[in-house]
Amino acid sequence: MSRSSTPGSPAGRPGAPAGHRAQSFDYAEGDDEVALDPALVTSPGHGAVGVFQAPRPVSRRTPPAEPTAVTAGENADIDSPFLDLFGGARPGAARAVTAGPATREQPAIPQQPPAAAPTPARPAPELEPPWTPDDRPTSARRPVEPRWADAHPGSESRVPHQAGDRLPPLHPANDPAPTAGGASASTAGPATRAPGTRPVERPPAPADRPAVDRAAAPAARTAPAARTAPAARPTLEGAPHRTAAPERPREAGKEVAAPRQRTASRQDRPVRPTRVRAPKIKFGDRDPSVELAITEIAGHLTFTPNTVTAWYWLPEVRWAFRPDAEREALLSAISEQYAGLAGFRLHLRRTTRPFPADEWARTIDAHTASPLPDVPGTAGWADHLVAAQRHLMAVNHAEGQTYLGVTFARRSLGDSLTERLLRTFGRGTADGERRKLGRTVEQFDEVLGAFGMRGRRVTAQELEWLLYRSVALCMAPPGTLSPVTDGRWERGDLLALTEQVERYRTPYGSTVKLVNRMTGEERHVAVLAVGRMEPLEIPERHEPWLHFHERLPWPMEISTRVDILGSGDSFRNLEHRLRMIRSQQLDYAEHGIDAPPELERLAKRALVIGDEMTTGLPVDSARAHGWHRIAVGGRTREECMERARRLIQLYSRELRISLQHPKNQDWLAREFIPGEPIANTGYVRRMPVPLLAAALPQAASNVGDRRGDLIGRTAGTCRRPVFLDLHFPMEVRERSGLAVFVAEPGGGKSTLLGALGYLAARRGVQVTLLDPSGPLARLCAMPELRPYSRVLNLTGSEHGTLAPYSLIPTPLRSEFGVGAAGDREFEIAVSNARAERRMLVQDICMMLVPPQVAREASTATLFRHAVRQVPAEETSTLDDVVSCLGRLDDDAGKELANLLLDTAEMPLAMLFFGRPPEGLLGADAALTVITMAGLRLPDLKIEREYWSAEEALALPMLHTAHRLAVRRCYGGSMSSRKLVGLDEAHFMEGWRSGRSFLVRLARDSRKWNLAALVASQNPRDILGLDVQNLVSTVFVGRIAEDAEIASEALRLLRVPVDDGYEATLASLSAADTSSANRLGFREFVMRDVDGRVQKVRVDVSYVDGLLDHLDTTPAAIAAAAGVLPSIPLPDLEA
Amino acid sequence: MRLRTDDDIYRARLVYLGPPGYTLPVHLPYAQYGLFILLVPLYMFIHWLFTFTVELFPAWEIALAIVTTSFIFRHVDPDRPARVVIRTALTDWRRTREPAVEQRDPRLVGSRIRIREELA
Repeated sequence: MSRSSTPGSPAGRPGAPAGHRAQSFDYAEGDDEVALDPALVTSPGHGAVGVFQAPRPVSRRTPPAEPTAVTAGENADIDSPFLDLFGGARPGAARAVTAGPATREQPAIPQQPPAAAPTPARPAPELEPPWTPDDRPTSARRPVEPRWADAHPGSESRVPHQAGDRLPPLHPANDPAPTAGGASASTAGPATRAPGTRPVERPPAPADRPAVDRAAAPAARTAPAARTAPAARPTLEGAPHRTAAPERPREAGKEVAAPRQRTASRQDRPVRPTRVRAPKIKFGDRDPSVELAITEIAGHLTFTPNTVTAWYWLPEVRWAFRPDAEREALLSAISEQYAGLAGFRLHLRRTTRPFPADEWARTIDAHTASPLPDVPGTAGWADHLVAAQRHLMAVNHAEGQTYLGVTFARRSLGDSLTERLLRTFGRGTADGERRKLGRTVEQFDEVLGAFGMRGRRVTAQELEWLLYRSVALCMAPPGTLSPVTDGRWERGDLLALTEQVERYRTPYGSTVKLVNRMTGEERHVAVLAVGRMEPLEIPERHEPWLHFHERLPWPMEISTRVDILGSGDSFRNLEHRLRMIRSQQLDYAEHGIDAPPELERLAKRALVIGDEMTTGLPVDSARAHGWHRIAVGGRTREECMERARRLIQLYSRELRISLQHPKNQDWLAREFIPGEPIANTGYVRRMPVPLLAAALPQAASNVGDRRGDLIGRTAGTCRRPVFLDLHFPMEVRERSGLAVFVAEPGGGKSTLLGALGYLAARRGVQVTLLDPSGPLARLCAMPELRPYSRVLNLTGSEHGTLAPYSLIPTPLRSEFGVGAAGDREFEIAVSNARAERRMLVQDICMMLVPPQVAREASTATLFRHAVRQVPAEETSTLDDVVSCLGRLDDDAGKELANLLLDTAEMPLAMLFFGRPPEGLLGADAALTVITMAGLRLPDLKIEREYWSAEEALALPMLHTAHRLAVRRCYGGSMSSRKLVGLDEAHFMEGWRSGRSFLVRLARDSRKWNLAALVASQNPRDILGLDVQNLVSTVFVGRIAEDAEIASEALRLLRVPVDDGYEATLASLSAADTSSANRLGFREFVMRDVDGRVQKVRVDVSYVDGLLDHLDTTPAAIAAAAGVLPSIPLPDLEA
Repeated sequence: MRLRTDDDIYRARLVYLGPPGYTLPVHLPYAQYGLFILLVPLYMFIHWLFTFTVELFPAWEIALAIVTTSFIFRHVDPDRPARVVIRTALTDWRRTREPAVEQRDPRLVGSRIRIREELA
């Protein structure tokens, strides 16, 4: 992102692309310690890189000694996902894989610790990562944790440098382990965590270390664990001299360059005795500087010599997909608040903050108790997270922050003189003045805190941030100070950073150039002013006019300075204007010339407005006169101008607002800084406060939780990343885990289902996907999943696989509470399970007999009778029902038995008869895909009579397959995370057992921590089943064909119907007709568990190869047959 | 909700038609006359600086003031009052060519701002 080195700091060492790396190669053992100093990374922007890494691979990559082993030539072997982050050359995509699967000590399938009790696994599941420096050496305290248990000496030795874990370019370079081990971080799976490796991995001959190690490592890794503890001890004891206490408490922020220079010189000493002098940067001109107008920040107040301003933070409000009535209520509440501020000058300021990708990665890692063990040669969990973060940063998501400043007091001469005097003694504003102001500002809390803006007082830190962002307009913000501690800047640090920002202007130019002297960042900023505005219909047709700029993908800044005029002022202002118009009319009359008709029209309008002002509410009469500016930044002048052009175009086309690009850009840019004077008086806009309220710069469109996998971004009015953890509803919100996907064929349901399944499986969730048509089976061929996944093809399965009785599990007593109440619940559950079994068996029998027979009343009676005879236990079979029917004293019964036996002769129908094979669906595989390859699904629009025999069989097969997929989830622990994806759920409609299945799924999902994804082509299926109250997450894809289906989908989303949102559904994933390429993305409207609705563009391209494996187009499948490894189905089957 | 600005009222073109009983052939905004009246003494003063004489009928000055006024008002519109145009002209008048030199503005420095966490 930004250059990390301060100019001239590494004495005489040219900053090669891998500058950090170059240092450690010929270092003595103790020295790379210093080179790794976390202080090096405190330059602004560095923390924002936010490279996070799960702790496991790190420990692998830090063997303590052999720093001398690596030569520069081997540099290319260092393989880390981080190397290319800072533009360094990544040594090829192919990783040097040595640790084969044979070295794996753990069972291939991870057992899942219960998600509800992650405490043993991760002591602190909060955001704060557990690997703070102080934590690290204490790893012995939690010996249960496999991830930490190995806390090998290397990690001990790095104690003061945990920052390095997040700062990859430092880390792999200084740490030859990946080279030596020959395995990338990703390959450091469970094998490396297995104890016993360390001592052996330290070969005596460092020169040919790679070769030795490659040979030694596998052997070492398979060494018995018993050797571990004693063997590791010596290294542990060897390490302490490097964990020297004095280095640890260093203040990271205070030593930006010093240690690095020290190490450089130390390294130089033996080679060259003369010291190379650091190049001195010369500034030709006198480098003037001007103090800002603000002299003091006290709490949420800022003082300039003449005025006092109170600042408030406006939280984001949801705008998209809300009913218009709600939006209007919001706007009128906000305009009332503005009207309540009549008489004051406001400064509305919106700035942005880059999305904290590192924070998210830490969160998701903390919530992932046991990610899928890494497969050597593929991207591991850490690489997966890094890829996601890089994707996040590449797409440049920015979160808005809106500040409102109310300039409310003029300072008396005495006050400002007192301040001046007291400043010389270091005291600032007088206590008395502040006390007096403190009482005055309370009125603003009252006005702004109410519904509408819901503003809260800003803190001094936030004001500092705002000031810095305003001085360094559109520049990259300083990152967190340190990724290890809370990363906050100390008081005043951010303001001190403004010293580094230089401003250049070309005398008549249209941009201002800003240069950050510390990072070398250069920005060109163009400030646009809001010019003529045409009438807007804000909730109905148009977007809020200062939120609208977020459609464009780069962050922009907004500054609005307005005076709010109360009814008296605005009426006086208007009346003056009216008199001028009238006198002009009179003039025309006196001179006997026809007055232009516009004068009469304007006079009438002024009269109407004047009438509104005098008779209406304060909201109608208050006016906002002021200036609205948008700042656009770019890396070069051309980029900046291009962006400004696009913004101007967008505003004039969509909102009919003409944005002007005035001269005097340096003044305009200065106007963004709180407290600075207004640039000039051009482009003053005079508007009623409702129009100012409708600017709504704080509008946003967030959706999803911030702790799940990255699945894409919002695609409506602004771009925010969308994260989805399908277990969030159960674990946090205590809602059901039923998620519904609705789209037309080709809308991307299956792909999304597969992608979510993949991402969940990576996080160690036990995933079962039911995909009747079969393309998702190719997920199991992905190299990182292959050892942990299984395909079950029902069409080739054994007898009894789908035996209906055993599909419904019997509840266990242990699942219920102790005591009499628990007993009672248990009994109810058992009898419910029996009733459900009977219902299912009846439905299956009805589906198996021809529809003509099924329609007869006696058939249902006979089936019910027979099913009643058979005990409804898991051990019963359909054969029992047939024999029971045969024993009946009734011809019809015998006939039915024969009909069922006839069906049983078909190969597919044999699945229903007999007992299920043992261990059909063990709970072991992380990902199981159930397919029915080759099965022809019937068209539900055609009557059942006309279905072929095979199609008729598909119906009961689908029913039972759904049950089978869910059945697997009842096997393991209740609290462990499970996910079931069911495609083609619309076949469940119209059958009693189908509804009871979905209801049960939704109910059980919370109890069993089971995320159930149900995909269907028609929302009516879900609405018809009447389970929409249990649905927590909804994805609706493109629905263009049928308006009725679209309005039902909207009801599922709980979005107002007939408000024009149907068109939104039809326009989802709209292909560009002029392009011959396939559409590269899919869009959905998503409703999350908190009821937020947003248009989402699903993008999982950051996962290498996932889209190739999920591609369901015929050409891709054909190509995949050749390119992708084909799955030997019999092998994968149980 | 149909929302519109009040700007059109302020956009009304107010022109001077002439003294009562006599209509001028051209109708110019009042502001233009005002600017003209300011410019004539300015040019007279400049003239005086060179010659140390004051002419009875300042023909050149009037002609220059008319030209300058009309030139300035070519850039004036309701959103851009005359004083803004003049101010911009004095600092940044229009040019199509991007100039080669850039000049450094003073840095705006906030490091001397005093910060209190709490008010009072």
